[in-house]
Amino acid sequence: MTTDTSLGTNPVTGSDRAAGSTQAGRGATSAPRPAGRRPAKRKIADWRKRAEIAVLAGPAVIVFVTFVILPVAMAAYYGFFKWQGYGPPTDFVGLQNYVIIFQDQAFRSVLMHNGFIVVLSLVLQGPIAIVLALLLNQKMHGRGLIRVLVFVPYVISEVIVGTGWSLLLQSNGAVNDLLQSIGLGGLRADWLSNPDIAIWTLLVIISWKYIGFAVILFLAGLQSIPEELFEAAAIDGAGYWQIQRRITLPLLGPTIRIWAFLSIIGSLQLFDLVYIIWGQYIASTAGTSTMATYMVGNGRNSGNYGFGSAVAVVMFVISLAVALIYQRFVLRRDTAGALTERKN
Amino acid sequence: MTRKNRLAAAIAIAAGTALLATGCSSGSSADSGDGKVTMTFWHNSTTGPGKAYWASTVKAFEKENPNVTIKIQAIQNEDLDGKLQTALNSGDGPDVFLQRGGGKLQAMINAGQLLDIKDSISADAKKSISAGTFSGYDAKSGTYAMPVAVLPEGIWYSKDLFQKAGIEGTPTTMDELNADIAELKTAGVDPVAVGAKDAWPAAHWYYNFALRECSEKTLTGAASSLKFDNACWTKAGQQLEDFNATKPFNQGFLTTAAQQGAGSSAGLLANHKAAMELMGAWDPGVISSLTPDAKPLPDLGWFPFPTISGGKGDPKSMMGGVDGYSCTAKAPKKACTDFLNFIVQKDNQEGYYKAFQAIPVNQDAQSVVAEPYLKSALAAYKEAPFVSQYLDTLYGQNVGNALNTSVVDVLAGKGTAKGIVSATNQAAAKG
Repeated sequence: MTTDTSLGTNPVTGSDRAAGSTQAGRGATSAPRPAGRRPAKRKIADWRKRAEIAVLAGPAVIVFVTFVILPVAMAAYYGFFKWQGYGPPTDFVGLQNYVIIFQDQAFRSVLMHNGFIVVLSLVLQGPIAIVLALLLNQKMHGRGLIRVLVFVPYVISEVIVGTGWSLLLQSNGAVNDLLQSIGLGGLRADWLSNPDIAIWTLLVIISWKYIGFAVILFLAGLQSIPEELFEAAAIDGAGYWQIQRRITLPLLGPTIRIWAFLSIIGSLQLFDLVYIIWGQYIASTAGTSTMATYMVGNGRNSGNYGFGSAVAVVMFVISLAVALIYQRFVLRRDTAGALTERKN
Repeated sequence: MTRKNRLAAAIAIAAGTALLATGCSSGSSADSGDGKVTMTFWHNSTTGPGKAYWASTVKAFEKENPNVTIKIQAIQNEDLDGKLQTALNSGDGPDVFLQRGGGKLQAMINAGQLLDIKDSISADAKKSISAGTFSGYDAKSGTYAMPVAVLPEGIWYSKDLFQKAGIEGTPTTMDELNADIAELKTAGVDPVAVGAKDAWPAAHWYYNFALRECSEKTLTGAASSLKFDNACWTKAGQQLEDFNATKPFNQGFLTTAAQQGAGSSAGLLANHKAAMELMGAWDPGVISSLTPDAKPLPDLGWFPFPTISGGKGDPKSMMGGVDGYSCTAKAPKKACTDFLNFIVQKDNQEGYYKAFQAIPVNQDAQSVVAEPYLKSALAAYKEAPFVSQYLDTLYGQNVGNALNTSVVDVLAGKGTAKGIVSATNQAAAKG
């Protein structure tokens, strides 16, 4: 508890302040005021408080409801219709859109692609980013420059990354030319258009793009580990790798877990890179389609706004479920007290 | 303090209301009572001669009809459909706009968004435009658009590259085409460019095989039934598989676009990197914008899609699209239909041909077509007993999209002829 008197906590009007100060003792504000004392003034005060909340929170609430809650509700509503987007929806089909989604082989394969990207992003990016972060945490020349360079791909817009890589990786593009000219012509491949290779190409591009973000997070995490622990461990005779394993990694845990959460959600919602590189139509042929490209392809581009809305709902539910499960089982210890009641 | 807040709130509310009011007041057609009419007009020619053509045509129309003012809005082609749909649904749509036809037209008719122009088509227009050209815009309840250009499909090729490979004449059967492809390969030329990244250019190969395999009745009947169980659909897929097995397409065709840049399929043809491309009659315009000097390709030629052995389709049938313009239901009927009749008059149609390098619908204006490749396309079009609309347009966006992507699957070796049919049937359930 604070040692304050009630003075500063309810700075409404002069007379109220006086009223508050007459009640002696700590925590007086939380005590109910004597009933019937100056009811008119109190009513005004209450009204003002509500008005203040309404004025300050109102715009944010309106924007949130209009652009987040309402669209979700509308998507759920449209998802029950066959609807081409012309005029109001009239052809109510119940859950049929959802049945079609789960029977669609193409949807099953986008789930596989998404799962593959979720897992492989963690497996590929995690270790590399930790090693890079440990490396960049050492004192050495040019550290600042390397840190910036590692972070650059993350800052470049997805559209530019997608366009750039798709030009480089074309069948007659720079990458194949380079391989040819350094005598590795046998490694030339249709990086983007060969269905056996395309998803690995996508993974490499994703890793290249997002690894900088992981490195920066881990570096920040490393900074917050107290130096004394390393010194103590060194005095006790621990080697470099032992220190990393016993001290750095466990203390970096919260950072790694929150990064993994962001990476999983990002992988589930992956859209822009695929859409830029493979365009509107051929992502499923190349084996790189995701839930989001499926939604746009079968919803908006096919003019099936009802069906597309149903896909959006499925995607929303899957992402929400993954997020909640992750919060419940993995992030719980990190967020205890912040998002939940602290337990002693 | 309170008073100030109230004042601020009042100002904010007033400003908000004003914004809303002005936002909603941009309704387009306005009949101000004195007989003066204002209409908005949406087309997709944002640059060059096409844009200039519409500006001058509208000006000429306004001169003839001093009571009518037309506001032109040129909208980027890829954005047009989305904007149009939103605008039509919110009641804020244009009065006249570029009509894509097919399933999209049907959806607009069903939603009551279009004006029936059947009784307003001028005698002149009826006389100079063949009834077949209108048929794509006919529905039970009336006629919903005015055609302006016909875009028959065929194979565009480079005469120089054919000569280099020692090919004489043009192939008329699939066997001859396959033989020519083999010769082009021997000569070190990519035989056929296809922009499979956009899916539809690849799918056009399937459309043409289906046109040869299926009867006219099957093709048009599927537009309303959306059932693809006739054996000819699978046979057409088989033809496509066989053709694809000869590896006729440019390397990396799966990520080749149709029209953007020198690496696109039209660009490959324009730069003599590939010998042929299957495409509608808008292709000469696209190709000429992609040649090194941005001028028409001098050695461009055209031949109709080859015939196959067997098949129920007439060997002279063609794939072809029609570009046209619709009036929306809320448009001022007289002024709007007057404008549609105006744009198909002979001199305006000649201007259209010059601006777009496309074949005009007005038969009197067709005589000015000079390019040999357009002439042969036009001749084949006139001889064709049946011109089918492109199947993705005919069957609507939904089924059309599924059809297109499943064809790409076949070309990439991931799908089969049967897969095309089942994907198409499955898509019909989604819409």
